[in-house]
Amino acid sequence: MTQNWSSLDGVLLLVVLVGLTIVFGLSRRIDHDRPRIDPAMAEEQLYLAGTTAKRVSLGFNGLVADWYWMRALQYVGRKVISAPGTFQLDNLGQLNLKQLAPLLDTATTLDPEFMEPYEYAAVVLPGIDVAEAIRITKKGIAANPSAWRLYQHLGYINWQQRNFREAGEAYRRGAELPGAPAWMKVMEARMAGEGSSRNTAREIYLRMYEQTGDEQVKNIARRHLLYLDSLDQREGLRKVLLVYQSKLGHCPGSWQQIEPALHTLRLALDSTGAPLDPSGTPYILMASKCDVDLDPKTEVPRF
Amino acid sequence: MVWRIAAIGRNAFREAVRDRVLYNLVLFVLILIAAAVFIGDLSGGQERKIIVDLGLSAMLLFGVFISIFVGVGLVYKEIERRTIYAIFAKPVGRGEFIVGKYLGLCLTLLVNVLVMGAGVSIALIYVSRGWDPLALRIWPAVLLIYVELMILTGIALLFSCFSSPALSALLTFFIFIIGHFSGDLKSLAGSAGGIVARWFFGALYYLLPNLSNLSFITPAAHGQVPDVAYAGLAILYSLVYIAVILAASTLIFSRRNFK
Repeated sequence: MTQNWSSLDGVLLLVVLVGLTIVFGLSRRIDHDRPRIDPAMAEEQLYLAGTTAKRVSLGFNGLVADWYWMRALQYVGRKVISAPGTFQLDNLGQLNLKQLAPLLDTATTLDPEFMEPYEYAAVVLPGIDVAEAIRITKKGIAANPSAWRLYQHLGYINWQQRNFREAGEAYRRGAELPGAPAWMKVMEARMAGEGSSRNTAREIYLRMYEQTGDEQVKNIARRHLLYLDSLDQREGLRKVLLVYQSKLGHCPGSWQQIEPALHTLRLALDSTGAPLDPSGTPYILMASKCDVDLDPKTEVPRF
Repeated sequence: MVWRIAAIGRNAFREAVRDRVLYNLVLFVLILIAAAVFIGDLSGGQERKIIVDLGLSAMLLFGVFISIFVGVGLVYKEIERRTIYAIFAKPVGRGEFIVGKYLGLCLTLLVNVLVMGAGVSIALIYVSRGWDPLALRIWPAVLLIYVELMILTGIALLFSCFSSPALSALLTFFIFIIGHFSGDLKSLAGSAGGIVARWFFGALYYLLPNLSNLSFITPAAHGQVPDVAYAGLAILYSLVYIAVILAASTLIFSRRNFK
């Protein structure tokens, strides 16, 4: 198979190499000069409705559903990166995410048993389009009537909207399904009696944190739990400051002055005696207002 | 007779290997490695599902291309090269020739599907950082994919008995597409107004292979295993359909005049 290289071979090889280099350069130039896509056009509706996409996917519907799912994640990611400021995943209302609902809808139509898009719809979509979030979740329930987690999602959306009756109903129906955990029944009772309480919120985010396999959703639940714990702690600290002020007529100038009282709150303290918030960052004492605040560097959100 | 069929089948397999058909495995492995390494960052924690969807879909797609492009040449190449005269100068029946060629390509596809299935299982174990039950649960879906490819190979062979390779490939590809639209054909038959249209679409539904019976990739990605009775029926349907195709191919091929 040994062949001698002729001068023609060398010329051809050169043409290939030079040609590829030119193609590379031209591609970069075209990319650079390409007119910017009109934002309105970029937000156009998807070409294919979910049912049509399913029909033309020729048995590859699972793979196409994965593609739509990844496209939804990239879509949100791109918007978050390109927008000024920082956004949390459960509060993206200002980002004009028009395509998110159709993308999630198409992914779940292509693969109705694909649970993660439903979870994403329940956690992220209510900040953009509540009606669509409820519709997609209900569609998931119709396709997966034995999946109690979809009822958990529906309960969560309704709870966020302060529709405690509907939320309780969703938890009740979910609790009746085989394999549903006992706390679904507890959530139904809580919705009836104390839907807007902090303890209910804590229970909801704790269950969300425990159940989800999605790191982003887990992070949302964790941040809400940090926030709720911090609210409790700050209430306790304010009471201590109030007692001190009522006894001595002025606020303490430093945390050390009320250290014994802080121990009764069972708060962790740093080396200077400052109480630590749930993320481990010291609280700030606002002596002039006789109040306590979060450190700007803390991981605890302000919502 | 069995030995003659086996000899033709063995040669068809060797020819496919010589034609570097199994090189597609390299591309498949590259796709799987890329998926296992890079999909994690893009999928929001859904790597396992995506590896199964991607792996089994690629297995089906590559298999379809092999079935079509190798299948349509099985008979045609022998006629073109005139080697068919040498074969039929020996005591080999035309039916034996067709069945042997068919089984040879099925053996090639079997090797292909087994290696790809093992690749998907290994990729799952890799992304799960340990044993993953899904690595075993995908195999019934792999079996159904193989059966689908067996049907397509038969159809490609059938067309190659009386048509040119290009037309055979096109027709087989159409059958693959229509085979996945069988549900629509049935509903068209049910909703058509005229009796002729109803009969026409009904006949098409029963005449063309219903490949959606064998589609189990999406549920497999969720760890579901097909019901044994249902899968058994689907496989039985496919085997009977293959027998019909091979009989029809033999019938057509027996009537061809090579003089």
